Amino acid sequence: MAQWQIAMIMMIAYLVIALLIGVLAGRNQDKQSLEEFTTAKGNLGLFVMWFLMGGAVFSAFSFLGAPGWAFSRGAPALYIITYTAFAILPWYIIGPKIGRIGRKHNIYTVAGFMQLRYSSRVLAMMIGIIALLASIQYLATQMKGMAYIFSIMTEGRIPFWLGALLSYGIVVVYVATGGLRAAAWSDVFQGILMIIISWTVGLTIVNQLHSSVPDMFRNLTETAPGFLQIGAEGSTMSAMAYTTTILVSTIGFLMWPHLFSKSYATKARTIKKTVLVYPVFALFLIPLLFVGFSAVNVIDPSQIGSPDEILPYLITTVLTLPGWVYGLVGAGALAAAMSTADAITHSASLEFTDGFVKNIKRDLSSKTTLLIMRIGVFVIGGLAYVITVFGGQGLIALLLGAYGSIVQFAPGVYGALYSKKVTEPAVITGLITGTVVNYYFQLVAPTTPLDINPGILGLICNIGLVVIISGFTQGKELPMAEEYRKVGS
Amino acid sequence: MSKQRFIKIYCLSLAIPFLLMVFPLFTLGNRETPFIMGLPFSVFWVIFWILITFVIVLFLYRLDPDKDEKGVQ
Repeated sequence: MAQWQIAMIMMIAYLVIALLIGVLAGRNQDKQSLEEFTTAKGNLGLFVMWFLMGGAVFSAFSFLGAPGWAFSRGAPALYIITYTAFAILPWYIIGPKIGRIGRKHNIYTVAGFMQLRYSSRVLAMMIGIIALLASIQYLATQMKGMAYIFSIMTEGRIPFWLGALLSYGIVVVYVATGGLRAAAWSDVFQGILMIIISWTVGLTIVNQLHSSVPDMFRNLTETAPGFLQIGAEGSTMSAMAYTTTILVSTIGFLMWPHLFSKSYATKARTIKKTVLVYPVFALFLIPLLFVGFSAVNVIDPSQIGSPDEILPYLITTVLTLPGWVYGLVGAGALAAAMSTADAITHSASLEFTDGFVKNIKRDLSSKTTLLIMRIGVFVIGGLAYVITVFGGQGLIALLLGAYGSIVQFAPGVYGALYSKKVTEPAVITGLITGTVVNYYFQLVAPTTPLDINPGILGLICNIGLVVIISGFTQGKELPMAEEYRKVGS
Repeated sequence: MSKQRFIKIYCLSLAIPFLLMVFPLFTLGNRETPFIMGLPFSVFWVIFWILITFVIVLFLYRLDPDKDEKGVQ
């Protein structure tokens, strides 16, 4: 049997198992329950929770992008494991608090959380729309990764559109039927698979190319001095850019609705224990960085289309590996992309329904809401698929803008949790300004002042405005402000 | 220990390793040599502090006066 056939059979076997687990997880659960669909009734256990949060970090970006960063940029790739380890830590404090507010007032989204605190429908609708657009962008990246890996591992026999359709279609089916619980259980399977694969395949590649990890680094520092330093002669990123990139990723992480809303899905103790073991996930990424480093002296960057292709390129072209390794890497990359895509699709549908649809049409029964969310999963899936396969430049710029503005939720969220003074107009103005500033420096201006990350520039304006405008707009009584602040403290 | 006090200890003790990972303090780890356990110093530095952070969080969890958030002061 040819190598691509083995790879294809393994990848399809993987997809079948992922589908089975996803669908079986939702079995015997109440299909008519909104609470089950949105938060798995708030009773997910530690093991599942761990992988649900971990799966979000292991995305197509970590499987293809992290080796790409290490290969093309060197030391700046360390930002990935740094922010992965640290971004979860605030959840220990804010997660239980958000969860308790949610249980008391029946909230299961970021939009709902903000709407109640600031008594603002406008804000909830904005969050619903931003979350939707940002999620579609995120999904398109994952889907590109899935389709790409399918195509390269089968040596082009499965076309781009079919690879994306197969793998993402399965995600849509199990999320729409089983909701959060299905996403969670398939993440457990996908998470274990990714960890095993990244370590075995990662270290195999390093050993084949350089005989050992120390040898690889010795070669690398001799031939490319400065490559493993930040801001030095020969390095690819300045100290300021590195620092602010870590900051923006760390602050933005928990603002993503699919992570934020997991606060509602479990008990306080489980949240804390999830945080406890989480830094280990950062360490799982290390071999993927090593893969990128190992290719530096071996592959000429002009040989591959983009740095993200380095891992599959090494496996299919440079190394002589058996077909089952093709299949393993294919399955691992699919798992990485799918375990992120399921959570994102689920939360995008929730945020848009809860933040936008429910504020346009206000008297929806919970049965109708659930139906809209289920349909939403298919609609969002379809939209993301169309964008991935057909593209469209203007649209992509819009989506990128939304993607970068998720971190701009932070002042509103922390303001809600820890201050009773922050007001609705302040948060709305801050959010809009932060989004615009980020968009300008990310996509319009060629450079940023002092090389600061665009998201941080937006955040600085955002926080400034929230503080100032809150000072001017006191007076309107916000009934929930004091309650939010007091919960759990 | 009161809950407020725990939150303060939590934030401060985790801010330390975080600050060591970003500039200006990352300057201390931002070098290629010496190699430690086969890793360049910058790579070792990041991995080392992530492990330390893991240990700190384990320790903090033991200190936590209200693991279930029942509101015990």
